This record gives sequence, structure tokens and C-alpha cells, in this order.
Amino acid sequence: MKIGKTNINPTKIICLGRNYLDHIKETNSPIPTEPVFFAKTVNTLVTNGGNIIYPNVLSSNKDYNKVDHEVELAFIIFQTCKNVSAKRAYDYIRGYTIFLDITARSMQKSDRMINLPWYRSKNFDTFGPIGPRIVPCSEIADPHNLNIQLKVNENIKQFSNTKHMLFKIPEILEYISKYVTLVPGDIVATGTPSGIGSILPGDILEASIEKIGTITHKVILEEI
Amino acid sequence: MKIGEITINPTKIICVGTNYMDHIEETKLDVPKEPVFFPKTLNCLIKDKEPIIYPTFLYNNPKINRIDYEVELAFIIKDTCKNVSLNKAYEHILGYTIFNDITARKMQIKDILSKLPWFRSKSFDTFAPIGPRILTHPEIGDPHNLKIKLKVNGNLKQNSNTKNLLFKVPDLMEYITKFFTMEAGDIIATGTPGGIGPIKPGDLIEASIEKIGTLTNEVILEKELN
Repeated sequence: MKIGKTNINPTKIICLGRNYLDHIKETNSPIPTEPVFFAKTVNTLVTNGGNIIYPNVLSSNKDYNKVDHEVELAFIIFQTCKNVSAKRAYDYIRGYTIFLDITARSMQKSDRMINLPWYRSKNFDTFGPIGPRIVPCSEIADPHNLNIQLKVNENIKQFSNTKHMLFKIPEILEYISKYVTLVPGDIVATGTPSGIGSILPGDILEASIEKIGTITHKVILEEI
Repeated sequence: MKIGEITINPTKIICVGTNYMDHIEETKLDVPKEPVFFPKTLNCLIKDKEPIIYPTFLYNNPKINRIDYEVELAFIIKDTCKNVSLNKAYEHILGYTIFNDITARKMQIKDILSKLPWFRSKSFDTFAPIGPRILTHPEIGDPHNLKIKLKVNGNLKQNSNTKNLLFKVPDLMEYITKFFTMEAGDIIATGTPGGIGPIKPGDLIEASIEKIGTLTNEVILEKELN
């Protein structure tokens, strides 16, 4: 897939949960002692301007009919790596981009309540908007000092700064690469700040991160 | 990757949990009303005869040091599909193979009880042996009448039949494709029967399904590679 001028072929998307203190508080979650992560599959990816498709199985079921936005800073893996040490982490990062971790919130909550995996709530097609470009590490001196925001229909819903990340990028890469080999193009999303809320068909989402830009996506109802 | 004579390029692996009654009873889980599924990432895949690498940081930590085998029938997607109906399910299946859903069990249980995602316990490198070949749909006939078993060091540990699947292959296709688009080469593992148990470095794991063959993998400790 092409993100801006860069072609990447991701094999996986790893997402951090609970990585901004303000978001941890709003969800009443305990503060993690180590990074919490889960996977999204590549069917979720949609580039800047593409529609977010609101699934019919959610809109037609009141128990599940809540979909949320979550804006995140993502980094892209540069070369194959395993057991990376924190101090060498940036050698393995190609650059940064914006990622939206769209989540079927009611479904996620009900699945978690009964100890089920919450994969399905995160992985509908188009639930991973990404872009608009990949900014190389050399152009972002400090990835932990960037304003990050999300607007729905021009109203600011999330507004924070990446300095509030609990686990920083080098720690995240060290931790994740203990578990899995990462390969070029793989995507790691670093978690969302507070202000998460629901989206509806017809909404326009604009997710922005300082120095990277803005991705814009319209939400449309799935046609069956 | 090449499985037997057939090359596939999977973009995702979807695993079905709690899909054999005997396994549901042994894990004391509720009988699901609809299929339960989770992903494994592609770094997990290894082929017949390749080693399962036992992560050193699990081995050295008694709180999380348990890894289990789970033999499963897997099917491979033939073409891009979404919202597949039951009666068209087989048209989108390339064939069948054996899959071993290796699981860091103590870590999984700990994460479940903490309401955390249990992705990490399932997706270490080499935690998804697959093969030794893909048998096409016409060759297999009925995928719901195949003996399935697993041996550790020659001792029979799992022994069942795919007729005991709670949700059948067409049910799984219909259900999963309501959620997302499947691509050619994608892998769906249909769940494991009863008899799950631990493995340790040095063990030889043989997973067999009638008509398909046997998938053999040795377990080695991570540091032994260096």
C-alpha cells in the first residue's frame, strides 16, 4: 500500500492499549506495569480520504451499536528485528504516521466482560485509517513532543501531546520485539489519549499530529 | 510460503476458540452461542519439521512458564470474499491442512483474568506450525469426518474427530466474513479438541489429521539457537 509517497507492505499491526494516563482514567482501567498490546489485521487499513465503513451487523443491533474513534501516533518498522534493545530502537524505525484505531466499543466491552478475545471489535474492514504520509525519523527529532488531536465534524474531541505517553517508543519496541519478529512495513500504534467518543454514519473525522499532517475520513453505512 | 506443493501468501490467521465440546468441558468455559475467534500474526508460521522455539523469558519465569499444544484442522481461503452465505462457503475454500495453535497458557490465563487482550500468549514466533500439505476441497470430501490426533514423544495426547466441531466450516465462513474481508491464502484454524497439555524443550510433537498426514515439530529452547 502507498502512504503518501512511501510504499509499505505491512504483515501485521500491533496496537498499544492504555498508554496515555488521561485515557486510562476515563476508561477506569488500572495503570499497566508493562505495555499492553493487541493485533489488528491488515484488512482494517484504509488510506487518507477513504471511507470508514460502519458495519451493518453493528448498526442493526442495539447491543453493539457504538463505534469509537481513537487517534494514535504510529511508527513503521524499517528492518527485520527481534529482541531489540531500547537504546537501538530508532535504528529499526522508518518513520511516523497517524493511525486511527476504530473500535466497536459496546462489542469490545461485552466480549471482555465474559472473558472473550476482543479481536472482532477492532478488526472490521476500514477500522484502521492511516496516513497521510510517513515522516522519517530524521524529520521528527523527538516523537514524544507532538500535539495530537481529533475532530469530529470540526469539533475537537481529542487533544493531547505525545509527551503524555506512559511507555515511550524505545520501550515499546524493546518489549514487543521480545514476543514477535517485526518485519519492514509492520505498523505499531502507540495508544490513544483521552476524549474517545462515538462516531456515526455521515460524520467527518480529521485526525492530526504535529509535523505529520491530517487524515480525513467520512463514515458511511455498509450497504448489503 | 510453500506448504507441500502449494504456495500461499496469507495476510492473516484467524483461530476459532472453544469449538469442540470435549475441549470446552476441560477448560470449564461456557458453550459459545456464536463462534469465538482471535488472530495470530504471520511471524508465528513455521512448516513441517521446523523447530518450535520455546521463549527463554517464559522458561525462566515460573509464573508464566507453561506452553501448550493444540492440534486443529485449518482451511485456506481461495479468493477474496466478504459476507459469504453458508451454501457458498466451500466455493471460497482452497483446501485443508493441519495447524498447531501453540499457546503460552499461564500467560493467557493471567491476561484473561486481568481483562487484557490475550494476543501476546498466542503470537510468539514459531507458535503456529502448519502443514505438511494442503489437501484441496475435492480431495478431502467431507471435512467433518476426519480423525484428528496429537502425540508428544510418541504418546497420544489428543484424539478426536472433526465431526465433533461445534460450529462447522460453512458456519465459520459465514460468521467470520460478516466481520471482515478474507483474502486468498488466509488461514482459518477451526479449534482444538480435548486433551491439551504442556510441551517442553526437547519434545517431539506429531499432529495428524486423517487424509492430510502428519505435521512434526521439535521444541527447542530459544538460547540453543545461538
